Amino acid sequence: MHISDGVLPMSVTLASAVVSLAGVALSLRRVRNEELPKIAVVTSSFFVASLVHLPFGPTSVHLILPGVVGALLGPASFLSIALGLFLQSLLFQFGGLTALGANTLMMGLPALLCGLLFQTLRGTTLVRHGIAGAVCGGLGTLLAALILAALLALAGEDFFGVAKIALLAHIPVFFIEAGVSAFAVTFLFRVKPELLAGGGPGR
Amino acid sequence: MEIHLSWVQALGGTLAVALPLALALFLLRRFVRAGRRDGESDWTVSAVDDHGHGSSSFHRWDARCKLIGLLLFAFAAAALSSLALALAALAISLAAALACRIPMRGALRRLLAMSGFLLMLLLVIPFTAASRPGETLLYFPGLPGLPFHVGGLLLALTIVCKASAVALLMEPLFATAPLTVTLAACARLGVPESLGRMVLLCHRYIFVFLHEMSRMYRSMRVRGFVPATDLATANAVGNFLGMLFVRSFERTGRVYEAMLCRGYRGTFPSSATFTATASDYAKTFCWVMLGAALITLDLLRLLPW
Repeated sequence: MHISDGVLPMSVTLASAVVSLAGVALSLRRVRNEELPKIAVVTSSFFVASLVHLPFGPTSVHLILPGVVGALLGPASFLSIALGLFLQSLLFQFGGLTALGANTLMMGLPALLCGLLFQTLRGTTLVRHGIAGAVCGGLGTLLAALILAALLALAGEDFFGVAKIALLAHIPVFFIEAGVSAFAVTFLFRVKPELLAGGGPGR
Repeated sequence: MEIHLSWVQALGGTLAVALPLALALFLLRRFVRAGRRDGESDWTVSAVDDHGHGSSSFHRWDARCKLIGLLLFAFAAAALSSLALALAALAISLAAALACRIPMRGALRRLLAMSGFLLMLLLVIPFTAASRPGETLLYFPGLPGLPFHVGGLLLALTIVCKASAVALLMEPLFATAPLTVTLAACARLGVPESLGRMVLLCHRYIFVFLHEMSRMYRSMRVRGFVPATDLATANAVGNFLGMLFVRSFERTGRVYEAMLCRGYRGTFPSSATFTATASDYAKTFCWVMLGAALITLDLLRLLPW
């Protein structure tokens, strides 16, 4: 789910670019210098994970996992998402360079919220981690789809139909994302629980 | 104006639009995926600066001036509202992508990656666009309640042209210099240096992890994993991704410690030096003027569509 260049009116494009830039600048200021390489690790592993396509009926969907990014990185997840999207448009252009701000908002805000939510939901048991992972995984994708629809609706009345269809098309993706996120989080809980502490992957 | 199409007209019109489009998409796929087996996930990503050392005029253009000129042009192209001007922007971008004399496969790959979203727009917008007084509506036989807005089709085509124009510009913008040089140029233009370092690290890690992932995935397949739409797949893929993160962390943790041992203090030494000559400024001026001209023509609304 990406918006390509030229869909949004220039005012929305520029406004979302400014907000995203502010978010990245804030994220950068809060992150310590030693953490940067670790954020790069999470960013690139999620970049690679987004290349995994799961079959869905006649078509396939690719994973985004904004919820898990939020759980792993906490406040730094916005920075990570912005970087990941920039690399995507650098390497094969899903969403373009001029739409980068809008795409960053679309994925970055859900990741931030899910990071917060994950920290409050996760208890100390495996089951609660699984539930928190599923909720954050599903909700992250739902929020991203809602922001996508809202941005498209901002582009004008001509795009209402597209916004609705994009939202509907993502309903199955919520469930796939929720399932995979839950299993990924429980796996990490069993193997390396300190990664899930949020606020950056402390080593 | 409302036009009720007969079956023959509807079929002929649809074929006239859909066939060239399908053919173009088919050729694009064939060309981009030549030599690969079908059905396998396509995980190959090529480095952005494989052809960074060349001798085209884009390679010789000072990276700072190139970033400014092409970025401003890209934003100008994305802001157009007339189809004719969007086509002009597409032609300019195509000429630029050809002029940097690197294989077109990268540029075509970018177009293919976007084609799904753009096709969706082409299919959906004409049927759902807002009604305007005096516009041309086509009624397909058998679909009395679903008029086809010709204006919507023009709008969707404009978006396709603009998106392709910006996508084609990415190759001259980023593939005509080594990534380190482009990032150093960004830093000179005021982008925080730490961001550039992270892009550089990520760009390297991506290829390492991609290798790791395809190795892990191959061994899953050998052990009988077949992806489907069910909980077992979610379980397997969730564990697979979790394992990928853990391995990536540990591997890059060791790399980071090794970097510290070798004197890494948070910055990479850069040998990039920038000297902008008159011709660099002239190229940037030309691109900015091209963008400004497109925008001005667009605002004047001299063209019928």
